[in-house]
Amino acid sequence: MIGLRKSIFAMLAPSLSLIALFILVPIALTIWLAFTKWSVQTPFSSATFIGFDNFREIFGSTSVGRDFKGAMINTALYSAMSIALILPLSVVFGMLIHQAELKGANILRTILFATYMVPMIAVALVFSKLYSPTEGPFNQMLAWIGIGPQPWLSSPDTALVSVVLLNVWQQVGYFTILIIAGLTQIPQSIYEAAKMDGARGPALFGFITLPLLKRTLLFSVVIALINAVQVFEPVALITQGGPVGSTNVLTYHIRRVGIERAQGGLGSAMSVTLLLALVVTVTAVFALARREERR
Amino acid sequence: MTIRPLMGLFLGSAMAAFTSVASLNVAWAEDVTVSFLTHWPPETVAKLEAAAATYAKDHPGVKVEVRAVPFGDLLTTLRSQAGQAGGPTIAGIYDLWLPELARDKLVNAAPEANAADVTTNWPKGVATAASVGGTVYGYPNEIDVYALNYNKKLFEEAGIKEAPKTWDEFYAAAEKLTNKDKGQQGFGMINSWAAGVVHPFASLLASNGGALVVDGKPQLDSENAKATFELYEKLIKSGASVATMGTADANTTGPFLDNFVSGKTGMIIMANWWESALKAGMGDRFADVATAPIPVGPKGDGPHSISYSWMTVVSDGASDAEKKAAWDFLGWFNGPTSGENGASAMGDLLQSMGILPSRTSDVAAFAERLKTPFLAGYVDVLSEARPFPTVLGGQEFTESLQSHIEAVQFGKETAAEAAAAAQADAAAILEKAAQ
Amino acid sequence: MSARGRLPAGAAASTGWRAFLYLLMIAIAVASAFPLVWMVLSSLKTPAEAMQTPPVWLPATPSLDAYQKVNELIRVGRSFANSALIAGITTAGILVTSLMAGYAFAKYRFRYREVLFAITIATMFLPPIVTLIPLYRLVGSIGLNASLAGVILPNLANAFGIFLMRQFIAGMPDELLEAARLDGASEFRIVFQIVAPAVAPALAALALFAFVYHWNSYLWPLTVLQGNSDNYPIVISLSRLLSYNRSAVNTGLVMAGATLAVLPPLILFVFLQRFFVRTITASGVTGQ
Repeated sequence: MIGLRKSIFAMLAPSLSLIALFILVPIALTIWLAFTKWSVQTPFSSATFIGFDNFREIFGSTSVGRDFKGAMINTALYSAMSIALILPLSVVFGMLIHQAELKGANILRTILFATYMVPMIAVALVFSKLYSPTEGPFNQMLAWIGIGPQPWLSSPDTALVSVVLLNVWQQVGYFTILIIAGLTQIPQSIYEAAKMDGARGPALFGFITLPLLKRTLLFSVVIALINAVQVFEPVALITQGGPVGSTNVLTYHIRRVGIERAQGGLGSAMSVTLLLALVVTVTAVFALARREERR
Repeated sequence: MTIRPLMGLFLGSAMAAFTSVASLNVAWAEDVTVSFLTHWPPETVAKLEAAAATYAKDHPGVKVEVRAVPFGDLLTTLRSQAGQAGGPTIAGIYDLWLPELARDKLVNAAPEANAADVTTNWPKGVATAASVGGTVYGYPNEIDVYALNYNKKLFEEAGIKEAPKTWDEFYAAAEKLTNKDKGQQGFGMINSWAAGVVHPFASLLASNGGALVVDGKPQLDSENAKATFELYEKLIKSGASVATMGTADANTTGPFLDNFVSGKTGMIIMANWWESALKAGMGDRFADVATAPIPVGPKGDGPHSISYSWMTVVSDGASDAEKKAAWDFLGWFNGPTSGENGASAMGDLLQSMGILPSRTSDVAAFAERLKTPFLAGYVDVLSEARPFPTVLGGQEFTESLQSHIEAVQFGKETAAEAAAAAQADAAAILEKAAQ
Repeated sequence: MSARGRLPAGAAASTGWRAFLYLLMIAIAVASAFPLVWMVLSSLKTPAEAMQTPPVWLPATPSLDAYQKVNELIRVGRSFANSALIAGITTAGILVTSLMAGYAFAKYRFRYREVLFAITIATMFLPPIVTLIPLYRLVGSIGLNASLAGVILPNLANAFGIFLMRQFIAGMPDELLEAARLDGASEFRIVFQIVAPAVAPALAALALFAFVYHWNSYLWPLTVLQGNSDNYPIVISLSRLLSYNRSAVNTGLVMAGATLAVLPPLILFVFLQRFFVRTITASGVTGQ
């Protein structure tokens, strides 16, 4: 048994020590700093404990609280819109590629998935040009079909949606692959049996495909959420959180407060809140799915 | 796949990692290496590197290496690296950032000789902006000031004879220049870029007899400031300024610049340093651009605009040898022997970007260049310009005011609401920062 | 992928319906490829063409001047080498550590196994911004600031890789491993000579995923490299071109830089994508 213990240690030590040192220790530090007043330009030793003051402030009514709550809402909206667009699209694309028996379906799959490989910074640069109000091709194409120019990133009403569209473009291919993976796991015999019973198109989709894809969809929701919460480059490179704070998402805001304004304690409190919100949301998604299953 | 290629890959990578670390250490083991952090574009960085090479000829054993990051990352880089081992020795900073760097003891007070150099060879106001509590912390270099830029061709088309001198004339001109069918706006307001939003507003405010901050207290609900918010509101409501035409990106460019460049914006309030951007974008049509003083408001005593400066500081966390070398280099780089015809190498570099130098002898050396129509308009307003308040919490204060100005631009707040809210936020921010 | 599911109405599908599906497929492909095609076309335009309104779609005289200019402004070769080092070493490290830990979690029984695994998996959900500042300080305190090693070291182990490997290795029959043990094989031999070949497609997929992720990563290298442009990977060097994002005149320049940064991950993808698709399809990644 001692031999086994040794190999357990040897197998786990490299990865777990790296994860402990470079993820868990920094998390612990962030949690501690959330209860302190600390300028990021100074050593950790200069942080002074101030209890829950940072949390009171980020949920308070001053500009700090308003900006943080605004960033929370923007991030939630961004995530919700991303998921609401990506999931249905990837199901449609997945069924088109996997079930419709079309020639060239694999080419479509490759093109869709390829966008996921493009560095976000390149995506951001390209889309900032595509969205350009005067020289941009998007407004020109809209003009062909008789729609007037849209402000895209230039108006607080459309900027966040524009960033969502860019995200959907980049990510939908990856989720299509996930959906295809889920579809292949549905045994053909179930469809055959249902057809014998006279089920057709929409009924097959509603009673077989969708229920049997549920786990895949659940997994996709969680992954899409985690990806969405991390949105950073397009905001940092194109919109700077504007106009009127409409694209000020949490990752960008935390970096601005915690590093640019050097308010390390406040930034850490925001990070901890983000972490808690994420834990609660993911747990709720899983709990909901489990309850559904029990029925 | 067997064990060997995998292990080979792993061992090979581990060794590569090791050697790359080792080689770095060797590079740092030279006599003294002074690193210089800046946000300048690659072409300007090349000029800085050339100057460093010249310096190295007479100073063997000292190597100046340039580190460059995009403007949007400069403050973050400074904040996270100042005072750290391996952090930059010299950094180019915006004067607004100095108070916090000095508070956290990250910047080195200038040695006596350098401090005396700065106080005697730079105008008093500029030297003051490079100091905190009477202590000089660095060499001022570029100075930027705001003025009204307008498109002469659009003025002609609209039948406007000369640049507006008062707010009434300004508003009338903006209305005349507006042409919805052509997608043309009279006056362009910037959004999504803190300084680009706040500085033009502050210039109009100063020309209406007001100020953002007096004795450390914000004055954003003064009658002068309320009138400035109302001017913005009026321009937006009449359609003479279209908010969505003014978006900037992280590099302080974007649609607002494109619209002015392509003749869709009649007037804008901007700083001198964007001359190079205008030239690049407009080519021959750059000749259409004229510069004029800021229009004066009903409560104002004359045109005033906002000025701010950039400076180079030395990290307090550097070794004594590095600090010594850094100050010596900065003294030479900003001094009258390093450039041509009595100018400093820094002055040469700045004027290549169309930026006003601040050293008195540089201003004299570039007298001819500063007489070009575009820059002359800026030099004229410099003496009456008010420095942007450099206070603790200045960055947060700027961003808070930005959000309320933008709210007025996009019709999310009325002028009165914006003035009251901006004042309340600013008071809280400055009070907290001063603690 | 032999047993393809049929579209429910497949058998009775009308020609009209199938034509519609083909049109839909083409539309999706065009929409998906459009931004990248536009990027490449724009990189070949002259500055004058880039400035025109309404925009020109096809460059009249395609020119590589923009690429030349990019090469003058940033050190493309050096940046590519840095990117390759960062992504390559990180990927190799992730493959090894994931294989070992995945094996341990899949095939060993020990106290706290579930807890350790749960903690490991939980780190997968962590947005990097949460640990950015302390992590930066930590890496600085071991003297790795501004170096490639500082970019690489914190990323050599990764929860997703461990999760993926555990899922795959768990499916291997225990008898195979027992037989090897009886033959006197050490645990390391088992991992690298028996387990690794058996999960090779999954390793290839993980390699693609890790390589692309670390080739594209922006926030961490930017933070840790401190403006030391000698060590810049290509995506950070590309961000230096932003200062040329002024007005449309330099669109070609910026798009040329973007094209250069996009190429390597795309080429790798073309070679490895089949493994990726197969792995996701065969694994429990989608929640078996």
